Amino acid sequence: MWGPPDMKRFLKPGWLLLTFYSLIFFSFIYLPLAVIIIYSFNSNPMDMTSWQSFTLDWYRGLFGLAEVGPSLGTSAIYVESTDQLLKALRNSLIVATTTTIISTTIGTATAIAMTRFRFRLRNAYQGLMMMPMMMPDIVLGIGLLIFFVTLGFKLSLLTIIIGHCTFLSSYVFIVVQARMAALDPALEEASADLGANEWVTFKKVLMPQLMPGIVGGAMLAFIISMDDLVITYFIAGTDSTTLPMFIFSMLRRGVKPEINAIATLIILASLIIAVIGLYLRTRQVE
Amino acid sequence: MQPILEIRDAVRVFKTPEGGAVRALDGVNLDVDANEFVTLLGPSGCGKTTLLRAIAGFEDLDDGQVRVDGADLRRVPAFRRPVNTVFQSYALFSHMSVARNVAYALEVAGVGKDERTRRAGELLELVGLEGMETRKPSQLSGGQKQRVALARALISQPKILLLDEPLSALDRQLRQQMQVELKNLQDEVGVSFVFVTHDQEEALTMSDRIVVMCDGRIEQTGTPREIYRKPKSRFVANFIGETNMIKVTFDGKGTATSVEGIILKVSEAAPAGRATAVLRPSDLTLSDSKNAPAHAILGKVRQEIYLGAELHYLIEADAGGEYWRVTAKDEGVGFHTGQSVALSYDPDVIHLIEGDA
Repeated sequence: MWGPPDMKRFLKPGWLLLTFYSLIFFSFIYLPLAVIIIYSFNSNPMDMTSWQSFTLDWYRGLFGLAEVGPSLGTSAIYVESTDQLLKALRNSLIVATTTTIISTTIGTATAIAMTRFRFRLRNAYQGLMMMPMMMPDIVLGIGLLIFFVTLGFKLSLLTIIIGHCTFLSSYVFIVVQARMAALDPALEEASADLGANEWVTFKKVLMPQLMPGIVGGAMLAFIISMDDLVITYFIAGTDSTTLPMFIFSMLRRGVKPEINAIATLIILASLIIAVIGLYLRTRQVE
Repeated sequence: MQPILEIRDAVRVFKTPEGGAVRALDGVNLDVDANEFVTLLGPSGCGKTTLLRAIAGFEDLDDGQVRVDGADLRRVPAFRRPVNTVFQSYALFSHMSVARNVAYALEVAGVGKDERTRRAGELLELVGLEGMETRKPSQLSGGQKQRVALARALISQPKILLLDEPLSALDRQLRQQMQVELKNLQDEVGVSFVFVTHDQEEALTMSDRIVVMCDGRIEQTGTPREIYRKPKSRFVANFIGETNMIKVTFDGKGTATSVEGIILKVSEAAPAGRATAVLRPSDLTLSDSKNAPAHAILGKVRQEIYLGAELHYLIEADAGGEYWRVTAKDEGVGFHTGQSVALSYDPDVIHLIEGDA
């Protein structure tokens, strides 16, 4: 079908410039990530920036499988932090999963209601839904903290989950609403016309049609929840350290090679989630 | 026999953003008989789609009744009404196969899988789509989607099938083919069709009866021939096909005179008074002005349009007034622009709309 590429076209100055720009652009975005991944295999414990030799020690150390040689501190710190790391990871997963389920439900329901029904103060309501997204994290964090303290909540994983749901519902809402707005209203009418009540219509027509938006919104909520530091920092109890908080506190004691390993694992997890998400999307959209 | 569908004094008022109110349906009465093909015809905003949606149950009436088989459908939700709809956008479920789309009504009603597969196959055969069961709607052409929508709406054997401009998205050739197929299909399945369109040609082709609507009211109801030949108002005459309309005054003795002074010979039965005379372009015959028949209108050719089988002329009467439209068969000899011609007609085919309007 295609003839041999017309090489002349690619040698024009415009094309060369564009190619050069693209390379720069992608380097700018991905080089920092590449550096992290590469140095997570660097065996030099003192100076992370100079390459010594290949090692998996930092990964083993993370899971308590290897005594990591003394670097800036003593090995005791690392063994202890492995437990802390796993606990932080567990906390983050609990928070992100619960938050994703709740905010996806709220966001999706709101998106459907906002698109299908006309009611008083609808625009005001829409504005209120967007507000948490625009609000600076630090303001939201302080606000939530004062709120919880005033109501006598004990800061815990529960307060983090509630806090995350307040603004992640908005994210899901935005994503699902875009999908909902593009949907032909006649689809629901056709379903009703053919004998389906509202619940059956929701189950058999609306949900499958919205699924790409719902999956996208849920993934976004999960990733933001996993990643959030500023808001979480304010509303986490002493016992409810999340992964970003753990990494942040590790950094404050100096940049250690394990951080590269943790970061690489997080990148890997994100990639897997993204690939699953993309796969689900292409399967749903036809 | 009781009509299958009865609409009584239907009123529907919409509020405009400016705070005003539009009467989309303003006291509509309509009966549709079993097995009848009725077309609701009118310009956009005339209320035809609102009426269709009120029958389907997507729109509430502010006043009046919709009865199907004698049963009042007030407060009966759309999903319990014995009518089905073919939507303008087809509204096929893109995440389902063609077969599942067609069998959706059965799936919702809890019919078993084997029975659903069998019935979907039957319906697909009826609309000429055998073997397409496993395709997705996105893999179909416009005409095929149309047929799937039809099959889907017919599978639960509705009492009335409602069609909302279903052919408007198709190209001209396919549209004409589908018009014939739709009419044949209706004869075959024996369901009453209520068809909404703004295309008068479509309406004339398919309908047993045409309902012409304007501003939320029914202007005229009748067979295609009645609507075309005996329009009750200038609006109907104008909307259905090309027309020559001229305001005249009768003397009651078979002569009518227009404001411009054109004299028409009309049927002697016409009473004295004012009226609008309606002459279709095909009712007029062109001849050279040198051997003009009696009572002919004299004028000059202003434009000739060659359309293959037909020729269209615009004629300016010597007495003035609006140009006359004339259709003639292409018989080898034409009349050229500027030529003096005579327009003759059969006085009995002149249709008169009485009154000043």
